[in-house]
Amino acid sequence: MVQEGQDWIYSETVKDHFLNPRNFLMGDEANFEYDAMGLVGNPICGDQMKVYIKVRDGKIVDVKWKTYGCASAIASTSALSEIAKGKTLDEALEIKAEDIDDYLGKLPKHKFHCSVLGHDALKDAIEKYREKDGEK
Amino acid sequence: MIYLDYAATAPVLPEVARAMNEAYGRYFANASALHTPGHLAMNEIERTRGLLAELINCEPEEIIFTSGASESNNAVMHTFEGCEIETSPYEHHSIIEVAEIYRGNKRPKLYSYMLANNELGEILELPCVGEDEYLHSDLTQVLGKMPIDVKALGLDYATLSAHKIGGPVGVGVLYVRKGVPFRPLIVGGNQEKRRRGGTYNTAGIIGFGAALKYMKDKKTWEIYDTYVRNLRDVLARRILAEIPGSSLNTDIVLGKSLPNILNVSFRAAEGESIQLYLDAEGIIVSTGSACASGDAKPSHVLMAKTGDAEVAHSSIRFSFGIDNTIEDVERVMEVLPGIVKRLQEISTIS
Repeated sequence: MVQEGQDWIYSETVKDHFLNPRNFLMGDEANFEYDAMGLVGNPICGDQMKVYIKVRDGKIVDVKWKTYGCASAIASTSALSEIAKGKTLDEALEIKAEDIDDYLGKLPKHKFHCSVLGHDALKDAIEKYREKDGEK
Repeated sequence: MIYLDYAATAPVLPEVARAMNEAYGRYFANASALHTPGHLAMNEIERTRGLLAELINCEPEEIIFTSGASESNNAVMHTFEGCEIETSPYEHHSIIEVAEIYRGNKRPKLYSYMLANNELGEILELPCVGEDEYLHSDLTQVLGKMPIDVKALGLDYATLSAHKIGGPVGVGVLYVRKGVPFRPLIVGGNQEKRRRGGTYNTAGIIGFGAALKYMKDKKTWEIYDTYVRNLRDVLARRILAEIPGSSLNTDIVLGKSLPNILNVSFRAAEGESIQLYLDAEGIIVSTGSACASGDAKPSHVLMAKTGDAEVAHSSIRFSFGIDNTIEDVERVMEVLPGIVKRLQEISTIS
C-alpha cells in the first residue's frame, strides 16, 4: 500500500502536544509534591482530567496533569500546563477554553466543546488551594 | 502502512479497478436503453446479478441493486412502515435509526437481525419467524468471510455491499425473496422491475462483479476461516498475554465470531488516543470511542455487549483482510504495548 505519512484533523501543534505531552504526571500521583488538585469530567463520558498545582507566594510555580481522553483532551491539558505555569492564581483563573484553543492553533469545532476542560480542573485546584489556605 | 480496518472498507482490488476502467470506456451507455451499447451494458449488469445469485443461492430476479447497504436497509424498513419492527441491539445505525421512524403496531411483523456484527464481529442467532412475520438480515460484514445461503438461513430479505469485499463504494444489494412484500424507496423509473428507480450504476456493478469473481475463484471464505483466523487469534492471545489491563470484547471461540474482527479494550487508555498513536506508527485501526466520531455517546454495540461506557470508550477494533500477514501482527505487538502503557501512565484512572 502507498505510504501517505500522517494527515490528521488536528493541527501540527495539537499533534505535537498529543504525541509529546508536556508536564504530565507519570504514574502514581504521590510522585509529585503538590498543594492542590482539581478534577473535571468523568471516564464514562470519555474524558477526565486532573490538574495538580504547586503554589509559592500566590504564583503557580509548577503544574502537572493527568488525562483520560482523546487526542485533543491530552493536547489541551498539555497546552494548559504551559499556559498556567508562572501565572498568579488570579491570572490563572482568567484562563479560558478559547485561550487553550488559540495556543494550540485551533481544534476542530466538534472537539473543542467536549474535550477542552483543563481550565475547569485548574479552577477547581485553585479554589481548593484557597479553601485550604484560608483554614491556616 | 499496515491496514487493519477492512471492516470499515476494503481497498479496491486491482481486478476491480481494471474492470471499472474498461467499463467507463465500453459500457457508458444507459443500460435501460434498447440500443446496442445500452444492451451491452445491461448484459454486464445481468452477469454480476447472475454470479451473485449463484453465490448466495437465490434467483437473479430476487436481487435488487442499490446505492449501498444503508439504502438497502432503509428500503426494507420503509416497506414495513407502521408495522411492528424488532431489531437486535447490535444493528447498524441504518437499521436502528430507520426502524425508529417507521415502527408501528400493525401486522405483519419484521425482524431485522444481522448475521454478524461490524464492530465486534460476533455472530448472532437469527430468530425463527412465524406466520405473518418476515426476517431481514444485514449480511454486509459476512460476504466473502463465510459462505452465504439465503435459503438455508430462511431469509426474506438480505442486505449486501460491494465495498467490504474490494468492490467500489456506492453499490449495494437487497435480496427480496419472491412473493414477500416490497415497497420501493426510490420511485420514478422502470429500473430493477420498478423496485428501484434511477439510472444503472453500470461501472460500479461491473466492479462488484469483478470483486465477486475474485471472491469465488479464491474461495476467500476458506482463507478467512483458516489463514486470517490464525492472524486474528495470534493477535488476541498476544494482547491478553502482553498488555496489562486488556480484555477482549469479541468472543473468539470458533463459530462465535467472524474470523477477521477483533475488538479489544484497554483499561484506562482511551480509544481515539490509541488509534492515533497507532496511526503515527503507520497502523490503521478503528475505535468504538465516542470521541472518534464526534458523537456524544460511545458505540451502542459495545454498550450492549459490555454495559460499561469506560470499556466502550477504551475499545479498538482490528479488522483483517486476506492481504495481512503475521509480520503485520508482529509489528502491532512491537508498538501497541508501549502505547497503551504510556496512555495508562498519564491516565486519571489507575
